Amino acid sequence: MIEGAKWKKWLWFYLPMGMFILGLLFPFYWMLVTTLKPDGELYRPWNHPLYSPFWTSAPTLDHVKSLLLETLFGTWMWNTMLIALVATLISLFCGVIAGYALARLRFRWAGLLGTAIFVTYLVPQTLLFIPLAEIIRDYRIGDTPWALILTYPTFLIPFCTWLMMGYFKTIPKELEECARIDGATRWQAMVYIILPVALPGILSAGIFAFTLSWNEFIYALVFLSSPEQKTVPVGVTSELIRGDVFFWGSLMAGALLGSIPVAFVYSFFVEHYVAGMTGSVKG
Amino acid sequence: MARISRRRFLQLSGGGLAGILASQQAPVFAQQSTVHWIRWNDFVPASDELLRKTILPEASKALGIKINFETVNANDLQPRITSAIQSGAGPDIVMLNNNHPQLYAASVADVSDVAEAVAKAQGGYYKLARSNTHDGKKFISVPWSVIGAQIAYRKSWFEEVGYSKFPETWEQYRDAGKKLKAKGRPIGQTLGHTFGDSPTFSYPYLWSFGGKEVDEKGKLVIDAKETVESVRFMTAFWKEAHDEGGLAWDDSNNNRAFLSGTICATLNGASIYIESLRKPDQYKTDKGAQLKTDILHAPLPRGPAGQFAMHTFHSHVIPAYSKNQKAAKQFLTWMHTPANYEKWFVSQKGFATPPTQQWEKHKMWDEDPVMAPYRVAGRLGLTPGHAGPSDRKAAEALTKYIITDMYAKAIQGGTPEAAVKWAAGELKSIYG
Amino acid sequence: MRAFTGVATRGPIGRMLEREGALAFWLLVPTLVLLTLFIAYPFARGVWLSLTNSVVGVPGDFIGLKNFVKLWNDSIFRTAALNTFVYTGVTTVFKLALGLWLALLLNRHFRGKAWVRAFILLPFIIPTVLSTLAWKWMFDPTFSVFNWLFWKLSIINTRINWLGDPDLAMASIMAVNVWRGVPFYAISLLAGLQTINQDLHEAAAIDGANRFQRFWYVTWPLLLPVTMVVVLFSVIQTFADFQLVYVLTGGGPANATHLFATYAYQIGIGTGLLSEGAAISLAMFPALLLVVVFQLWYIRKVENR
Repeated sequence: MIEGAKWKKWLWFYLPMGMFILGLLFPFYWMLVTTLKPDGELYRPWNHPLYSPFWTSAPTLDHVKSLLLETLFGTWMWNTMLIALVATLISLFCGVIAGYALARLRFRWAGLLGTAIFVTYLVPQTLLFIPLAEIIRDYRIGDTPWALILTYPTFLIPFCTWLMMGYFKTIPKELEECARIDGATRWQAMVYIILPVALPGILSAGIFAFTLSWNEFIYALVFLSSPEQKTVPVGVTSELIRGDVFFWGSLMAGALLGSIPVAFVYSFFVEHYVAGMTGSVKG
Repeated sequence: MARISRRRFLQLSGGGLAGILASQQAPVFAQQSTVHWIRWNDFVPASDELLRKTILPEASKALGIKINFETVNANDLQPRITSAIQSGAGPDIVMLNNNHPQLYAASVADVSDVAEAVAKAQGGYYKLARSNTHDGKKFISVPWSVIGAQIAYRKSWFEEVGYSKFPETWEQYRDAGKKLKAKGRPIGQTLGHTFGDSPTFSYPYLWSFGGKEVDEKGKLVIDAKETVESVRFMTAFWKEAHDEGGLAWDDSNNNRAFLSGTICATLNGASIYIESLRKPDQYKTDKGAQLKTDILHAPLPRGPAGQFAMHTFHSHVIPAYSKNQKAAKQFLTWMHTPANYEKWFVSQKGFATPPTQQWEKHKMWDEDPVMAPYRVAGRLGLTPGHAGPSDRKAAEALTKYIITDMYAKAIQGGTPEAAVKWAAGELKSIYG
Repeated sequence: MRAFTGVATRGPIGRMLEREGALAFWLLVPTLVLLTLFIAYPFARGVWLSLTNSVVGVPGDFIGLKNFVKLWNDSIFRTAALNTFVYTGVTTVFKLALGLWLALLLNRHFRGKAWVRAFILLPFIIPTVLSTLAWKWMFDPTFSVFNWLFWKLSIINTRINWLGDPDLAMASIMAVNVWRGVPFYAISLLAGLQTINQDLHEAAAIDGANRFQRFWYVTWPLLLPVTMVVVLFSVIQTFADFQLVYVLTGGGPANATHLFATYAYQIGIGTGLLSEGAAISLAMFPALLLVVVFQLWYIRKVENR
């Protein structure tokens, strides 16, 4: 704690902390208020006498209703969940076994391959999306969830691999050696001894990968076109922007509801998420 | 998408169709062709509703085709068709703006059969309709409508500053705007990257000063003193009379601003007025009267070289990747038959003008005098790339917003000459 | 402890998998296949594409480096390049400074610490386009809540043109990026701070160091490795950013806030000039490589101190 006078505590701690919290969380409050405000109140210009931005006197669920009933929001949620889950599972599978190989096994190409996987991180999605669109077409998976399920692992696997490498390195070698003395094959040692111990790490990697999948945009924007195939980020930004018609209420409803699954999952696994994030940074 | 064998289809379209129409029942068979139709989110929402609730179910019944109707933000139509062509799958009928079809000429089907039939039956296309959709050899797109652009303005406010008739020259408009901005009621215009209001303002503005991109022979003539003069005028005009946020506006910001009483005039399709008719009690003047009684329309003012207009144009392409081209063409033909098209046209209340001459005589135009100027939009508009053709190069220049940016750049800083030189450089890399 | 069946299960495959090299190979195969198919191959194809004059629907012919020459002379491209560097540099500095400050604040014990730590990560968790949409509404030219606030506080009496003025628009996108990134920096740095032994601080305090000196000579050097890794990740992501600018300004006004990624999208997908778009995307790579190599070198230097 800060020693000394109470005012010092306020100045050096409570005030800055309060400002951070306000600054970081205000936009979410804004999303909430806008979702519940009726159109009449929403479209008062900023210097109108009755402009009341921070609350509403007549909250309405109209925007939420129009979002859920008049758009394919439910479908987008489903699509995004499915894609995120499958992509995460694929990435975890690849990342865990790759991480084990790089951390535990000695072989000639270990250093090179580790670096190669790192280098792929230097090739961001925004660099690849144009040629990748053609390739997606050639493999005939354009406009299907597979276009994303197969491409998302490209940025999820490197991360999962490093994270798992870090975790595996902290597991004492003795564990495996004991198992092998007991007659286990390398494969059995890995699956039955090491993986259970690394489970927290796997969970962390999984949660982080899940949230990263939800956050992906440009591949989803370019590879999908039918409204039924879209993910939440793409659907909300493309389908709720209608010409000259007012839309901010439903947009904010979409933004709010679209954020909930991720926030929900995150809330259950905060510790693991943080561990995942920091583990990758330290590892 | 369900496939239908050729034989089945011929059976359908031949005797089957007559049988179906006679029995008023959709045929029940295992596979049905689907046509995926994508259009913009109509600025007159009532029309989209009419399509969804009435017209398309009728079409389905009449043709035995399932129609999958999708609407997106108009500015997303281009990325959408590019991605679709790139990934080899997507909608079967795509609506495009202005001369954008020219950019995709190599990837769309030849629709001359549909287009020529409509032209013949309805008194011929307007010149601008043909030039936007014809690539010199064939129709690459079926013209749909012209969205007339006029200045919507507040009658009472202009009267207050001495203009009982809308300003006829740019100098007068600038004067009125200056006075009104001083009262907190500036002119509102977008110079952002949005398909509708920006080019329909910047192109005719340029032409009215005598500037143009190319001449009749196709030579680049943008770098001329008329262009520089237009830029110089615009920079002063903007700062004195316009809402300066307009640089970041899209096609909907001016509607919202006008309807909430923060701007006095804006170039737009008729959607502002139509919206005020839709909810007469939500939009009021500050004296409490219904806003719709204070809105009038006028054409763009005159410049030293005359008065010009450019109207947003809509047409439909059938991409070459589509596996339902026959059904798509069938549908378009059906949609354009006067009985069916008329329903859609009337729901637009004059926002859209049909691309063929015969509709000028339609009685809907006589109903509301405020909408009268829109009747002849198709006849009077010019096309991008003027005085050259509205071809692929003009489409590229349009889609890169070069003319619009020329003005936006000058407003943001720098000399008019520099802005014009920049535009000339950009156009040169397109026209060669 | 699980009992393992012994020699009986070792058939030919089992024997092969005993060799470290073979097992490693098979464990790495899925990863390598996916990364080759969806990163290496598209990268090569992108390079090829950028050397042609392909447009949507038309494969085009080889034209060598003409696209890159055209880009070099394109003032919008130059603006986008400059913007990307400025955007990355400025936001990284702010994210680091504010993130560090927040981490130091969070490093104390106070009631509700777990809640606060959980909540402040929200800007980073929530999909970027969704939170950026909220910001776009807050910056709206006609209905901005910031304008209202400043007007009420009598700081301004005409609208601030957050997204319409080119410099303000750049400031706006940077502000939103910082808002989004500070939690990531804060939580990562917090983890780093928590590994620093408190005894070191006490020893320094006993030696007479004040708070600032304790930070600069004890905390900061020990934090440097974590900091550098966080900065590395963040720089790569920020440099290649697309979503934020796409939603907030679309690259406008008049191309003033374009980054490499958004300009590539506008030219490649918006206008259909695929090869030019690919060239713009590729232009990111050398810069990224340089930045990363420099940072890796710096990290190594710091670690070997």
